[in-house]
Amino acid sequence: MARIGVFVCHCGENIGRTVDASSVAEALRSHPGVVHAEDYRYMCSDPGQTLVREAIAANRLTGVVVAACSPHMHERTFRKVVAAAGLNPFLCEMANIREQCSWIHEDREQATGKAIAITRALVEKVKANTPLETIRIPIERRALVIGGGIAGIQAALDLADGGAEVVLVEKESSIGGHMSQLSETFPTLDCSQCILTPRMVEVAQHPRIRLYAYSEVEEVSGYIGNFEVKVRRKARSVNETLCNGCGACTQACPNRKVPNEFECGLGKRPAISVPFPQAVPNMPVLDRERCARFMAIRKGITKAVCGKCAEACTRGAIDFAQEDRFVTEKVGAIIIATGYQLYSIGKEQPEGEGLSGYGEYGYGQVPDVIDGLQFERLASASGPTGGRIVRPSDGRVPKRVVFLQCVGSRDPSRGIPYCSKICCMYVAKHVMLYRHKVHDGEAVVFYMDVRAAGKGYDEFTRRAIEEEGAIYRRGRVARLWRDGDVVKVQGFDTLSGEPLLLDADLVVLATAVRPQPGIRALAQKLSVSCDQHGFINEAHPKLRPVETNTAGIFVAGACQAPRDIPESVAMGSAAAAKVLGLFSKAELEREPTVARVDAAHCAGCFLCERVCPYGAVGRREVRDRAGRLVKVVAEVNPGVCQGCGTCQATCPGKHVEVQGFTDQQIYAEIAAL
Amino acid sequence: MAFQPKITAFVCNWCTYTGADLAGTSRLQMAPEVRIIRLPCTGRIDPLFVIKAFERGADGVIVSGCHPADCHYNSGNYHARRRFAIFRDLLDFVGLDPRRVIFSWVSASEGGKWRDIVDSAAATIRELGPCRADTGDEGRGRLACAS
Amino acid sequence: MRELRELAVRLLETSDVQVVIGWEESRRGVRPAFAQTPAEAERLVFDQRCVHNLAAYLHPRRKHIRGLGRPAVVVKGCDARAVAGLIRDNQLRREDVVLIGVRCPGVWAENKAEGQPGNRRWAERCVSCPQRTPTLCDYLIGEDSPEPSGGPGLEAQVERIQALPMAERWAFWSSAFERCVRCYACREICPLCFCERCLADKSMPQWIESSPHRRGNLAWHLARALHLAGRCVGCGECERACPAGIPLSILNARLQQSVRERFEFVVSDDPVAPSPIGEFRVDDGQEFIR
Repeated sequence: MARIGVFVCHCGENIGRTVDASSVAEALRSHPGVVHAEDYRYMCSDPGQTLVREAIAANRLTGVVVAACSPHMHERTFRKVVAAAGLNPFLCEMANIREQCSWIHEDREQATGKAIAITRALVEKVKANTPLETIRIPIERRALVIGGGIAGIQAALDLADGGAEVVLVEKESSIGGHMSQLSETFPTLDCSQCILTPRMVEVAQHPRIRLYAYSEVEEVSGYIGNFEVKVRRKARSVNETLCNGCGACTQACPNRKVPNEFECGLGKRPAISVPFPQAVPNMPVLDRERCARFMAIRKGITKAVCGKCAEACTRGAIDFAQEDRFVTEKVGAIIIATGYQLYSIGKEQPEGEGLSGYGEYGYGQVPDVIDGLQFERLASASGPTGGRIVRPSDGRVPKRVVFLQCVGSRDPSRGIPYCSKICCMYVAKHVMLYRHKVHDGEAVVFYMDVRAAGKGYDEFTRRAIEEEGAIYRRGRVARLWRDGDVVKVQGFDTLSGEPLLLDADLVVLATAVRPQPGIRALAQKLSVSCDQHGFINEAHPKLRPVETNTAGIFVAGACQAPRDIPESVAMGSAAAAKVLGLFSKAELEREPTVARVDAAHCAGCFLCERVCPYGAVGRREVRDRAGRLVKVVAEVNPGVCQGCGTCQATCPGKHVEVQGFTDQQIYAEIAAL
Repeated sequence: MAFQPKITAFVCNWCTYTGADLAGTSRLQMAPEVRIIRLPCTGRIDPLFVIKAFERGADGVIVSGCHPADCHYNSGNYHARRRFAIFRDLLDFVGLDPRRVIFSWVSASEGGKWRDIVDSAAATIRELGPCRADTGDEGRGRLACAS
Repeated sequence: MRELRELAVRLLETSDVQVVIGWEESRRGVRPAFAQTPAEAERLVFDQRCVHNLAAYLHPRRKHIRGLGRPAVVVKGCDARAVAGLIRDNQLRREDVVLIGVRCPGVWAENKAEGQPGNRRWAERCVSCPQRTPTLCDYLIGEDSPEPSGGPGLEAQVERIQALPMAERWAFWSSAFERCVRCYACREICPLCFCERCLADKSMPQWIESSPHRRGNLAWHLARALHLAGRCVGCGECERACPAGIPLSILNARLQQSVRERFEFVVSDDPVAPSPIGEFRVDDGQEFIR
């Protein structure tokens, strides 16, 4: 038999002015199942709470309704009070007679009547309530970081320094990401590698970081606190434990004409190589597409060809037969930090991306039209030219360099409406690097706007213009073409209104920042969402910038939107802090208001599985004692379910129920109103 | 005595319930006929609730939740929108005045919109009159009827 | 007929099919038959009297039929749509059933023998059948025949009722529902009502009042129709089984129209086409939402 207690609050004058609280208590006293009803001036005050606690004990109450303010205000307060009196906290409900009654009505009689009706409905609901226990989920205190660029490195180091184990997965053969390709960084012009490589070494040497370079995330299952990740360790053809990084193999390789990806195609590398001298791990990868031995095998030649690298290796580390291996790691949280790619704006574009390219700029056809990253390599002291800025076509020092901003960005008609954010700044930096190295050179910049918001950023661009004499022309370039020795630049200056035709020795395109090509597939594996351009969606654009909509999965750096280095680092640290916060508890506590399936009656149509926004519904086989399959039923993972109840409204037989909002409870409320 | 309609509102916890709270905090006066039942999400709101509310004597029903793209649970409101689009067609087809079932998106910041929804619902239902007792089974409840 | 029987015998004799579900003659017209031997298969018939939707024997609630072994089922266009529905809703695996498709000529309103009343009047649903010849089948037999004609067809019936004033629509349906005796024949015969425990049989809480009066009747018929939105194959079996003559097909057809107009979804015999309930589009219409 239900023994319900009703506690009506005056909230000083807030409720009392228009609702006669003692009449409400009086009316409820005669309501079936109510054994105790009283009113008090401030129910949330200490004496008020004591009143509730004592009444629970004195009347052996089985449920409590506090008729007061919104549950958003004091549901937690009163559930704690109820729990302190030894009653399950989920046997307490709030009847909102302040925000939704006394404050919105003037007529005392009407408001009191409505307050009585609201309170009665909640009494009926609470009769149908059942005790619920907080769900506790164990947490695996290890984190997976996907992507070893600066954002991933920062996140991994912060996590590891904070005491967590970290698994860092990088698809390239070395960590470092795009930052390792940059010459110098804005706005301080310090050398990118000088500040990055110590951090890379720290990663390699950290006792709590397990680095899987040249590896990719293959499969992800599980949920917050309990993910299982399968990592594909791609075959390097080099035994990781034997190799000591001496580089003898790369010296021995006879094929030295492979375009070097790290140098953005501006240099050459052997078929077995490390991307750059400071690579972490310092271990080569054999490019089977370019290796003479593997090319011969593909042609059907059975005789072993070449093998010079293996001969050169004193440790016998070259392993031509090596295959991809898989390792499975258990982690409690995941940080996505896969970074960006530059929009390759040639005519040919992969299908289905909705991008048409910019064929009129001759990128890929005219050798002296390059993109921003290629310029970084030209300017880099460790680059293919040793830091001499020269033309890729003839090695001559360019006397006039034209920089084009917003190539591909802010152009909705061609597929990318967003601003790539970093280009204004790095173009200004390029201008400076160029002018520092070619004193008599002329730098011309075509821009739409100069967006230099950031600490020291505007001062930096002003310097490029005022001190370095860069000529900024507001306008777009229509066409680039090769004319004998020069690149013709046809554009328009929208400020002066004059058409322009310039002869450039070198043209640098600040092409749009895009997410990495495999991002959608990865997002699918992780059950997180991307925006229309493929950037990972954060949970809230303002308040939850490094969380995703999937609990336990976080995001950092340029895979979420175009980001510069300080922002990527800040996001990496922020995501790490979020993960450490999660790991600070031994167990994850979750509200028990999650869905539960009635397996006995579930018909297994799995409509619930299809509508669940969180992928919380799985399938479970039901077998009889002899082990024969009886049926397959839906099962809700309480660690993933957020309790929205869409499954329940969709289930034709109503055989899945959200605890705390069961059909029985809602029915009772409807019937009482 | 003038007809005082009974209107049951099914609202989601995150947007409309909070919006209704905001209306209170802002002391916006509104018609007293609406009684709110709080659900986690519009995705949880079942057409059965509406049918039952009418059976138990409601003269009108409000269903309200987060605007598209604002759902606390990402997509519960999209599923609800499909479900109620069909349900509304069905009610209309069997001759139950669809004006008695009001659907709206009211965000946590739209206290004023909530007040307008409540007032216009009350006015509409007052005009339509009671859902006539039509069960042949007076006393246990009423059945919704075309006006 | 020869073609059907030969195929049935062949399936029983040479494949792992243990029962062929089709039709046979009885004193009161044709009736569903379960041929387990070649001799029984020789009794199978197919003609315009074969109104029953045999897919109803395939869902897991019919455990005794499953006990007969691997079935082959004769399917008309509408029956195949029902089989697809069962596959879509995870009640049946495609590989667990052999489907003998028939080029359906359309069926009469009832399964009576020649010369009896009800004969030679096309079933209403066949007049506006979206697909008489199934594509979801392993074998396809029979010959093409002209489209059934005459009678207004279901769509026209829906239009007629929708055009009535609201009060008359209410009067029409409340008088129809008033006749309901809550025998649940509509549910039992429906090939897509496969719940282990029906909502209407639940009492905690009792969403649907169980006694046959207007209140519970309305709730039952609204809930039943809603469950079939985007799923009903239009086989009309519920209406045929109804002892009270409630025009359930019209109600079902209205919802399929709604689903088609709003979500561009037409129930077909494609077992992988996702049904519109359980899906959504961000830009679904919301003209009714304020």
